[in-house]
Amino acid sequence: MSPSFDLPPKGGFSFDLCRRNAMLESKGLKAPTFLKTGTTIVGLVFQDGVILGADTRATEGPIVADKNCEKIHYMAPNIYCCGAGTAADTEAVTDMVSSQLQLHRYHTGRESRVVTALTLLKKHLFNYQGHVSAALVLGGVDVTGPHLHTIYPHGSTDTLPFATMGSGSLAAMSVFESKYKEGLGRDEGVQLVVEAISAGIFNDLGSGSNVDVCVITKGHKDYLRNHLLPNPRTYVNPKGFTFPKKTEVLLTKIIPLKEVEVIEGDAMEE
Amino acid sequence: MDQKVDLSAPHSMGTTIIGVTYNGGVVLGADSRTSTGVYVANRASDKITQLTDNVYVCRSGSAADSQIVSDYVRYFLHQHTIQLGQPATVKVAANLVRLLSYNNKNFLETGLIVGGWDKYEGGQIFGVPLGGTIVQQPFAIGGSGSSYLYGFFDQAWKEGMTKDEAEALKKAVSLAIARDGASGGVVRTVIINSEGVTRNFYPGDQLPLWHEEMEPHNSLLDILGAPEPMSM
Amino acid sequence: MSIFEYNGSALVAMVGKNCFAIASDRRLGVQLQTIATDFQRISKIHDKLFIGLSGLATDAQTLYQRLVFRHKLYQLREERDMKPETFASLVSAILYEKRQFGPYFCQPVIAGLGDDDKPFICTMDSIGAKELAKDFVVAGTASESLYGACESMFKPDMEPEELFETISQALLSSVDRDCLSGWGGHVYVVTPIEVKERILKGRMD
Repeated sequence: MSPSFDLPPKGGFSFDLCRRNAMLESKGLKAPTFLKTGTTIVGLVFQDGVILGADTRATEGPIVADKNCEKIHYMAPNIYCCGAGTAADTEAVTDMVSSQLQLHRYHTGRESRVVTALTLLKKHLFNYQGHVSAALVLGGVDVTGPHLHTIYPHGSTDTLPFATMGSGSLAAMSVFESKYKEGLGRDEGVQLVVEAISAGIFNDLGSGSNVDVCVITKGHKDYLRNHLLPNPRTYVNPKGFTFPKKTEVLLTKIIPLKEVEVIEGDAMEE
Repeated sequence: MDQKVDLSAPHSMGTTIIGVTYNGGVVLGADSRTSTGVYVANRASDKITQLTDNVYVCRSGSAADSQIVSDYVRYFLHQHTIQLGQPATVKVAANLVRLLSYNNKNFLETGLIVGGWDKYEGGQIFGVPLGGTIVQQPFAIGGSGSSYLYGFFDQAWKEGMTKDEAEALKKAVSLAIARDGASGGVVRTVIINSEGVTRNFYPGDQLPLWHEEMEPHNSLLDILGAPEPMSM
Repeated sequence: MSIFEYNGSALVAMVGKNCFAIASDRRLGVQLQTIATDFQRISKIHDKLFIGLSGLATDAQTLYQRLVFRHKLYQLREERDMKPETFASLVSAILYEKRQFGPYFCQPVIAGLGDDDKPFICTMDSIGAKELAKDFVVAGTASESLYGACESMFKPDMEPEELFETISQALLSSVDRDCLSGWGGHVYVVTPIEVKERILKGRMD
């Protein structure tokens, strides 16, 4: 018999720890909490395209895990997607669909359409019946014009001129409901998105830090990372800490990293 | 108060949907509210979805479930239309809806009303409620708002109405919006007959007002009669 | 009790000028009982790439074995070491694979020197949501106090010796406020020319 060993799996979820973890949980151990993006994400349609916006706080329970994370994900050159919910899920699902879109572009030689991304996303989320908890705002401009959609973890979708998602969605929606109008200009649009995200940052505890904006128009996009920084550090110690007493070290081991010396012939190309 | 804003709860369309036959075609009607618990996630949704050129469906229940069912049925009907070389009949469309609803009844939470026109049997309405039964009816009502409408329809529906008489029954949707908290927004109608399809839109502030209903206002301050915001 | 608190751990990584440091405590416990005081939570993947695994020790060891295996396969196929970014994606993919109800109860901290010796640090939750940082990352039962300590002690562009002093002080002061971690520390400072591994003296209660 030939020896066998586990090869790296080809993809998909693996369920082999489920039974053990169910046992541990039944013995009273709490299941872990995951990194969530208690979030404000928004999008709107303006006269020549769509604008997406997001805050940049990632939380783990009440702890701010990341003060400047990216929540506007790349889907295709003309399509971007804001994600709220469990961070790993929004990241995984957008990465997966963007690779499917890239393959589809290689296959057809045409620009991706927003509805294609929408269908792929909703298909995946519906399959997992809400267990993959990603709430998304999908926006882009394709051959059929500008499009904005929201996608919920259970796989339902809406098509809207303006949309908000995440824990700060109520604060942001109140801004949109009172100020959105049809045919906004680019600067007005960006301003409104910034206002909506700021409403989330300042009124929702799950959202915070900075404002990211992405403006997509026909054949062009502007990803404005940290477009606004309304929460700079206020407690900077200019000198920093210095430690008068050295840390007590019991043992030191130094491993020099040897450079490969080429004695004969040419160095190998990497 | 245990009504909390839980945005991760599944979306459901607490809904009012109606379908009415008249001599020559059908009228479908729906409100436009989609909610998660007590939050209105979409106030202008379109619950009357196209399946083919001549068949539409009114969706109620879980938004995700009703979308997936109508997406699949639309896909199957496109295939069917190509293979047949002629438009699918309303009966075929309704049967596909039934097939999916029945076969997956343990996983789905959606009630649909299929309506359309074909050259063989004219305008028809089929109700496909929760378990996947199919019933052909002269008129059908569905969603949470429908409980307020049974008596109204028993009284108002007549055999052999004209198109305008039938579309006048859209007032049923505004009646239900007035009484059902889970229905609201605007009223959308779709009229299907031998000449094609007409879509109509009636904004929320232009709907008739019923018993003790208040006039629509853009701001709470109008209602309170306060000319400017209170100062702190 | 959360599963992450079963064994207890403290992990931190910091970026300096063309170098990085990664440090952990040395305690392995079963709830409040201490089992070992020389436990290795930080492992070397290659000369310039380290991973620390906080959380449930059994999962940390299993996961470490899988990661070493995958890295060796990569070395055979590609005849080179993995870049830290690539390795982080690998860890993320392996963790996300077990997303539905069956995660490894580990929160990894990855630190490495990339091409042109640019330092890279990153942490993840137990299902592989990457969190890239420019300054420092923390994990484990002492993470709350580590956040506070690092937030005030860290400053950008430190030289290796100052970086060592900072990360050590941050670690030691944090674990003193966490019952489940402590018993000294284990610090690696990695520069383009050498790896300095040091064992710290800490409280033994």
